[in-house]
Amino acid sequence: MKSRALATPLSFNENLASYLSYLNRALKANFAYKSSTFLGLFTGALSYGITVLVWRHVYAQGGLAHALSANEMFSYLALAFCLNYAMTINIDQRVGQRIRLGLIATDLLKPLDFQLTQAVQALSDSLFNGFVGLGVLAVVYTVLGSAILPKNLACLVLFLPSVFLAFVVQYSIVFLFIQGAFYTYSGYGLFASRIALHQTFSGLQAPLILYPPILLTLGRWLPFQHIIYSPISIYMGRVEGLQALNLLGEQFLWATVLYLVGHYTLRKALGQLEIQGG
Amino acid sequence: MGEELKIYWATFKASLQAKLEYKLDFFLGILTSTMLQLAALGFLWVVFHQTQNLQGWSQPQVVFLFGMTAMGLGGSELFFNHIWMVPYYIVMGDLDRLMVYPVRSLPFLLISRPELHSFGNLVTGAILAGWSLWKLQMPWFDWLMVPVWALSGSIIYTAALVTFTSLAFKFVGPYSYTLMIPHTLLQASRYPLSIFPGWVHFILIFLIPYGAFNYLPGSWVMGKMSSPLLVLTAPVVAVLCASIAQIAWDRGLRQYQSTGS
Repeated sequence: MKSRALATPLSFNENLASYLSYLNRALKANFAYKSSTFLGLFTGALSYGITVLVWRHVYAQGGLAHALSANEMFSYLALAFCLNYAMTINIDQRVGQRIRLGLIATDLLKPLDFQLTQAVQALSDSLFNGFVGLGVLAVVYTVLGSAILPKNLACLVLFLPSVFLAFVVQYSIVFLFIQGAFYTYSGYGLFASRIALHQTFSGLQAPLILYPPILLTLGRWLPFQHIIYSPISIYMGRVEGLQALNLLGEQFLWATVLYLVGHYTLRKALGQLEIQGG
Repeated sequence: MGEELKIYWATFKASLQAKLEYKLDFFLGILTSTMLQLAALGFLWVVFHQTQNLQGWSQPQVVFLFGMTAMGLGGSELFFNHIWMVPYYIVMGDLDRLMVYPVRSLPFLLISRPELHSFGNLVTGAILAGWSLWKLQMPWFDWLMVPVWALSGSIIYTAALVTFTSLAFKFVGPYSYTLMIPHTLLQASRYPLSIFPGWVHFILIFLIPYGAFNYLPGSWVMGKMSSPLLVLTAPVVAVLCASIAQIAWDRGLRQYQSTGS
């Protein structure tokens, strides 16, 4: 950390140019690994296909009255898959490994904010995956038709900031979990526990309104719902007007708090960091 | 053969002891694999909040399938987990070392990197399968067969991973994405296969036969199929899959070129 004080502070324009340069390079890197992107998309779709097939059977079987019609449900699932794909950021492995190998020392020498630099890299992942997700949505449109379109223009307008806030919530949660790498040898445990919470409470596999009361209450108290369930609720018009603005406010609050907590815990972790020389 | 088995066992013990040195990782591993199983169960809970059965399978019956899958996965992670590193080793040329050891390369590779989170999957799986059998008041014979089916499941799952890994010798790349295909399909075996379309059913019974250690014996236990042959399907299919995996591995290894450095 001391080395940062030695570096000459950058002006606002230089700072912005540096972050944009990061974004540009990170985007190019994403395009360079096209085959791994599509294999990743394929396995993701395969995994999600199982969830869709389970719901398909439940709806085909009939029986209970559902809070969502079959058309609404499958549109929700298609949107959830694409949004989740857009929210897939690859910083767990990237940053975790840098922490474990001590390479974080070189990152800290740079006159840029570490948390923000990683956010920019994550944004590049998110933008790239978002475009791929849009492609998937275009394919889904040929099957589900207008059911996957936003309810109206206002819903679409409110959806855009909601997606950005969803990204900040997602990034901040990932950033918090990554910091476990300062204390553990393997990053798997933290990575997997975040995935478990994300899968259960983000609304990835089903909208929260279909949850049993206990799970629903738990989900309402956690930030994960704001990554998928909240933006899609706005997009589909299940939440409108003042309610939608309230939801955006909640997302903003979670995004700010989680980002600041990440900033604080990073400072604490760096205070105890020891990197072997040689 | 006896000497070779001793080497495998010593390697496994040494690797496990080395891993157990990281106590925090051990507890975290157990906690997180349990959390992942609970996340999957959470989804099942949501599904059963919306329906009373899945093609005639009640919730405790489906939980049995969840338990069997978790145990099959856990067993593979404990005894055969090293396969996940092979795509990376091929790129780095690290398989050279393996090929000069005076033992068979595949079993030695598989056994030499146990994963600690496997215990979480094994314990959670045993609890789920046990709870289901207890709840459904199943006879002692079913309890006795569970470890046999679980071990067969570990072998069938590992064999699928090995077969897909063999492709990595041809299509070189540092990622384990090809392994994610059999791994992802394992999730489907948590559900009664009859709820899926015919082609998925076909894949999971004949091509990547996870149904052999899970759905088929489960159907017999739950009285949905009556042939007693279903009891022995799992070990027979496990032996068959292991043989195919060995052949695929040998063929793949012939194409290995190292890195020249």
